[in-house]
Amino acid sequence: MSQEMYEKLAQVVIVGEPEKAAGLAQEALDQGLDPLDCINQGLTKGIQRVGELFASGDYFLPDLIIGAEAMKNALAVLEPVLTAGGQGREVLGHAVLGTVEGDLHDIGKTLVGTMLAANGFRVTDIGTDVPAADFVEAAKENGANLIGASALLTTTMSEQQKIIETFEEAGLRQKVRIMVGGAPVTKSWCDKIGADGFAKDAISAVALAKRLVGAA
Amino acid sequence: MANLEPLRPNLHLDVLSSEQVSAIRAATLDVLEHVGVCFPSEKALSVFEDHGADVDRESHIVRLSPDLVTEAMREAPRSYVLGGRTGDADLLLDGKTCYLATDGCGVETLDFETGERRTSCKDDVARMARVSDFLGSISFYWPMVSAQDHGKTAPLHELEASFRNTVKHVQTETVMGPRPAQYAVRMGEAVAGSAKTMRQRPPFSVLICTIAPLAQDKEGIEAGMVYAEAGIPVGFMAMPNMGATAPATPGGALVVGNAEVVSAMVLMQLVAPGAPVFHSILASVMHPHTAEYVVGIPHKYLCNAAAVQLAHDWGVPALAGAFGMDAEEPGSWQQGRDNAYTALLVPLAGADLITGSGLLEASTLLVPEQIILDDEVYHINRVLLNGLDTDGESLALDVISDVGPKGHFLAQNHTRQRLRDIWIPTLTHPRPGPGGPPPEDLQERARAELERILTDHEPEPLSETIQQELRTILAAAARDLG
Repeated sequence: MSQEMYEKLAQVVIVGEPEKAAGLAQEALDQGLDPLDCINQGLTKGIQRVGELFASGDYFLPDLIIGAEAMKNALAVLEPVLTAGGQGREVLGHAVLGTVEGDLHDIGKTLVGTMLAANGFRVTDIGTDVPAADFVEAAKENGANLIGASALLTTTMSEQQKIIETFEEAGLRQKVRIMVGGAPVTKSWCDKIGADGFAKDAISAVALAKRLVGAA
Repeated sequence: MANLEPLRPNLHLDVLSSEQVSAIRAATLDVLEHVGVCFPSEKALSVFEDHGADVDRESHIVRLSPDLVTEAMREAPRSYVLGGRTGDADLLLDGKTCYLATDGCGVETLDFETGERRTSCKDDVARMARVSDFLGSISFYWPMVSAQDHGKTAPLHELEASFRNTVKHVQTETVMGPRPAQYAVRMGEAVAGSAKTMRQRPPFSVLICTIAPLAQDKEGIEAGMVYAEAGIPVGFMAMPNMGATAPATPGGALVVGNAEVVSAMVLMQLVAPGAPVFHSILASVMHPHTAEYVVGIPHKYLCNAAAVQLAHDWGVPALAGAFGMDAEEPGSWQQGRDNAYTALLVPLAGADLITGSGLLEASTLLVPEQIILDDEVYHINRVLLNGLDTDGESLALDVISDVGPKGHFLAQNHTRQRLRDIWIPTLTHPRPGPGGPPPEDLQERARAELERILTDHEPEPLSETIQQELRTILAAAARDLG
């Protein structure tokens, strides 16, 4: 019985049905199943399978994102119950992501967030056009250990440097790893401003994030 | 199942107006009536004489009245089948579909293993037939190089290597002369199963080159008559070289080429009324300083497309030329430029058959991986020729409204489904998959794909009985032809 439900939860992620995910998670709780088992034996297995299908070239980015949305919707039902019971889901790290001040580009940063969430990170997305100080605030509030700053314009790249400086001024630079990304961002820029890492797309951002938090 | 992905163009381009086509037809008929074409064959001359043509036995020049030409060409079918070795490889020339062949008949190969330039051999023909059997872009196979390790019977060995290694239709452009042609017909019967089946679904056809200007090759034309009588489709290709063997104008080259091809097709209809024939003109220009044969020029592309219209004006299928241009280096800018133009223009013009991919240096050098590079160009054109779909669902109003300003379409089911319909060239943008990332260098990537096909693909085998029959025919031909 429980095995069947775990399989359904995995499938809702693999097939990609975000609209059904929350209802299914509730059904699992109503059956008295343990929310942590639902996550570990259902949703996580599903998202791993999605990852495999993506790596083999069968799945495209939209399949990945829709699968991750399904996972997110189910987690939104399961996690509060888990927390109320004094338990927590094991995460690799907590990331705060945002697009730097003066820059409204959203998609790349959102993709990274989706990919990180699907790969075991807790993600707080603080949106676009975010001042450096707000990155520091969000990191403090959430106890984040990973920061992702996105910039799509040559004119806004310098904000990434400002974010690093702001963390230093706040005395928090040693507590977080900072990764930078965006079309004009390069490895040499990353090194120059003293960021901890750079990734050229959302897939390599996951590998980078894992490395930065010591999970890979 | 035979892997066939022919072109079915929704887009069309006529490079000639109907008035221009009529003018070229009138000029062609004028040349056939007043200038004539040389047929150095007693048999051909007798056939023409029997049908009331003006024949000069001494100069071998035949002059044909417009009525004789028109009447004879009326017999030629517009639509027929080029048979595959298996039924699912049959090609119906229906006027809507365009089939690509490999190029032929090269004389040198960059060796499959060492990459060194050497004389071509039968094994090259066999290996490339296997690759062509696999590739969806290739609908029928021209033996790509000469089987120079088999002396005078090389052309028959090319045919045998092809039959053995692909189920796809084979078109020879080397089995010439009436006696070799008879052996080829016997081979065709063996593969088809009977003479009757061979007429219905001929497993091979023949392309014969005319001689510019305004002459026929004795061996070619006499082989043509043998084939026509046996029901094997016969095409004629004129290769007018502007400035040298043809006037230095595209119009003049088309008239000369048309006269050569039409006079030969008329002979086939007189010998065997209703014989399946096809028409082909491949123009080129003489380099004005070196006299070099140059094909990578815009006037040639226009002539190739115009020739398709001329073929259809005579009510027969068109074989058009694409790929196989001047370039000496695969994967070069020049090679890409020239191949892209020719390979797009002739299906736009409505060609029924196209030759051919895979050779370089004006169709003389086989670089094995070139066929993979050409395959990619072919598939790009396949998408281009479809045009665009703008039906209700593809206008995506619902999704546009769901996403709204400043959102993104990545997480939409519509995106998920329809993004798959947008084909992205796979050689330049390989999809992730097992076996790790492909080589960085494009030519090496093509090379790796070629090697994968040669390792993995086994064509449906030709039955041992038929293989034995073919060997017997080859042995008899070797004794007979020396």
